[in-house]
Amino acid sequence: MNLLHLVDAGPRIADFMDRMLPPDLTWQASEPRPFPPPLRLAVAVVGVTLQIALLGTALGTIAALALGLLGAENLTPHWVHHPIKIAMALLRSIPVILLALLFVAALGLGALPGVLAIAVHSVGMLGKLFAEECETADPGVWEAMDSAGSNWFQKVRYAVWPQVAPQIYSLTLFRLDMNLRESAVLGLVGVAGLGLWIENYRRAFDYQSVATLVIITMLVVLVVDQISVQIRRKLK
Amino acid sequence: MIRIECLEVQYDRNPPVLSIDALTIKAGERVAVIGPSGAGKSTLLRAIKGYVRPVQGKVEVMGVNFMTARRRDRRRVNRRIGLIYQQFHLVRRLTVLENVLCGRLGVTSRWRSCLGMFSAEDRRIAWSAICEVGLRDQVHQRSDRLSGGEQQRVAVARTVAQQPAIILADEPVSSVDPAWAEDVLEIITEVQRHHQATLVMSLHQPDLARRFAERIIGLRKGRVVFDDEPAKVTEANLKELYRGDASLPLHGAAGRSQQHQTRTA
Repeated sequence: MNLLHLVDAGPRIADFMDRMLPPDLTWQASEPRPFPPPLRLAVAVVGVTLQIALLGTALGTIAALALGLLGAENLTPHWVHHPIKIAMALLRSIPVILLALLFVAALGLGALPGVLAIAVHSVGMLGKLFAEECETADPGVWEAMDSAGSNWFQKVRYAVWPQVAPQIYSLTLFRLDMNLRESAVLGLVGVAGLGLWIENYRRAFDYQSVATLVIITMLVVLVVDQISVQIRRKLK
Repeated sequence: MIRIECLEVQYDRNPPVLSIDALTIKAGERVAVIGPSGAGKSTLLRAIKGYVRPVQGKVEVMGVNFMTARRRDRRRVNRRIGLIYQQFHLVRRLTVLENVLCGRLGVTSRWRSCLGMFSAEDRRIAWSAICEVGLRDQVHQRSDRLSGGEQQRVAVARTVAQQPAIILADEPVSSVDPAWAEDVLEIITEVQRHHQATLVMSLHQPDLARRFAERIIGLRKGRVVFDDEPAKVTEANLKELYRGDASLPLHGAAGRSQQHQTRTA
C-alpha cells in the first residue's frame, strides 16, 4: 500500500467532488431523465430504509433474547449454552453485506432480503451481548427464588430480567442505530432503500443526485443517532 | 420433623465441613446454631434445605429423606422450607410488594407469574405478611431504597408468604445495623410463633442466641460441641467454642455496646 498515491489522488478527488457538487435539489423534473429527481425520491425511500432497519432489528432482538437466555452459562446446562454460543459466533462472523447478497439471490430484489440480513446478523451480535449480560446476574437472588419454589421461567423473569433489562434496552437501541447505517449500505447489493438508489444514480453517472442521497442518508443517521443517545442516557 | 444421622459433608480432600452423628429437631422448636466462622453453620442449614450433597448420611425433613426421595417429593418439601439469607437477596429494582409476592411463585403457574399476574389470594397473603413485619407504609417502595433492617424484613415477609413449615435463617442479622438486629430477630421469632413453624437460625452473636432461642447448638469445625437450653450454656462453653476466633465479643450486653463504641469511634 503506497501512501504516496494519496498525493496523486488529490486532483482526482477534487475532480470527483466537482462532479458531485452542487447536489441536485430539483423537486420537479423539467426534462425527461432516467431516474426521478433525487430529493423527491428520497422522501419515499428513506421510509423504506427505516422500515428495513426497524423490522430487522425487531426480529433480530426477539430471537437474540431467546438465544441470549439459552446461551447464558449460568442459566442453562453446558450442552445447551455451548452450541448456542458457537452458533451465534458463526452468525456474527458473516459480514452483513454477504448475508444480504445471499438473501437477494434467494428471494430477489426488494426489502425482505434486507430485513432478513439485518435480523440474522443482529442475532449473532445481540445474542452474545445479551448472554454476557445475563451472566452478570446475581446468583444469590437466583437461589432465593429457587428457595421460594420457583421454576426456571420464574427465576429468569424475577431473578434475572429486572437486573439486565436496562442494559438490554440500551444494547438494542445501539444495535438499531448501527442497523440503520447498514440498511443504507445494503442497497449496493440490491436491497431496496437509499443504498439501491445511490447505486442506480452512480451507474447513470448522475453524481449530483448521488450527493443528494448521501447527504440525506447522513442526516437521517445523525438524527436517529442523537435520539438513541438521549434515550440511552435516560436509561442509565 | 428434622432428623439428621451420620451426616458427613466434605469437599474434595479437605477435612469435613460438617460431621454430625445424630441431630433431631422437633416441630415448633426455636433453635439457634452458633459457632466461629467456618464452623459449618451455613452448611448445616443448607443441608436441612436440601442444597447440600453429603458424602454420607441421612437428612430427613418432614418424613422425606433427601438422599433417596424422588425429585417430586423433594420439591414438595423444599417449598415448605423458607430460607432467609444474610445478604437478603431481594430483587432490587422491584417494590416491597413485588418482592414478597415472589414468595408465592412456588404455587403460581409459570405463565401467570411471568406476566406478573398473581391471584387475589396471593396478594392477600403477601399483604398480610408485609403488615406482619411492619412495612405497610413502604409497600410500593423500591426495595433498594430501604435500609438494611427494612430489606431483611422484606426478606422475612417473602418467606412468610411462602407459608413454610420450617424457617431457616442463615446469619439473618449479620448484615443489619446492630441497633436493628434485635428488632429483626423479634420479628422472625414472632412470625415463627404466629405461624407455628420450626425455626433454625445461625447466629454470630451468642447473646442474641440466648435471648431469642429456646435451644442452642454450638458448632465447631463441623461437630456439635453442645446442644442445650440457653440457661445451661455457660461462659466456659462459649469460650471453648470460640477458642481462637478473635472476632467475637464474648461478654454480655455491656461488653457488646463497648465493642460497638470502639468500632464506631
